[in-house]
Amino acid sequence: MSLKSFKRALWVYHLNTGSCNGCDIEILAVLTPRYDVERFGIKLVGSPRHADVLLATGPVIKQMVTRVERIYEQTPDPKMVMVIGNCGIEGDVFHESYNLAGPIDQIIPVDVYVPGCPPRPEAIIHGVAMAWVKLEKLAKQEVV
Amino acid sequence: MTFLLESGYAFWNPLIWIIVFIVLAVIVYFFRRRGQKGYKKDTDQTRIFLCGEEVPEAGERHIRVGNIYWGFFETLKEYYEQILKPHTGIINDYILWFVAITAVSVIVLLAAGLG
Repeated sequence: MSLKSFKRALWVYHLNTGSCNGCDIEILAVLTPRYDVERFGIKLVGSPRHADVLLATGPVIKQMVTRVERIYEQTPDPKMVMVIGNCGIEGDVFHESYNLAGPIDQIIPVDVYVPGCPPRPEAIIHGVAMAWVKLEKLAKQEVV
Repeated sequence: MTFLLESGYAFWNPLIWIIVFIVLAVIVYFFRRRGQKGYKKDTDQTRIFLCGEEVPEAGERHIRVGNIYWGFFETLKEYYEQILKPHTGIINDYILWFVAITAVSVIVLLAAGLG
């Protein structure tokens, strides 16, 4: 994979919308020395204003809706949204719960889905690579 | 014309400072130009990030400096209320206070001297 338009490290913001923390622990595992995604330039940042990709976990509880929307709006363009885990994709065990407003793609547009409960770190890295390719295409369109 | 000021121990030259300022400005401009250009003006992208929360107005999100002394003001409220009354801000009143206190002091000192 050669990147010609999106020529910078990929910065990622982790957004927990009400997750059980299973997916969040796997995201943490991706950063640990065993997987060490920072060697590819993938870095977790503390503000969506610095991010290229939003990593969203959890099924979006009602209280999080405005926060999720605001965080999405605060991410600069071009941006990607990745959903990590079954909860964000379709609610999983929380499906049809009285307290849910999700899944995430009903609140904000989603580009990459990584299913699993929780997904393995390899799957998350694969998802980020897919998001990177999509960003490259977006950046190319903007350049042209 | 060198613009050089010497004190005998050190010197001060405005030209050096101007050159330093220009060099720093160029460095700042260089880094600023390399920054993210994707931010859209007048959208949430340029607003303050507060963990996704709505950011309150500027006056609401800072603790005003007066709040530091809230305990003092609250405890000494009665004293302040009394002391504020003579502080009218009118110079005639202050001179009147000065004359009155001087007169009382003179009377006390004279009385003490006579005694």
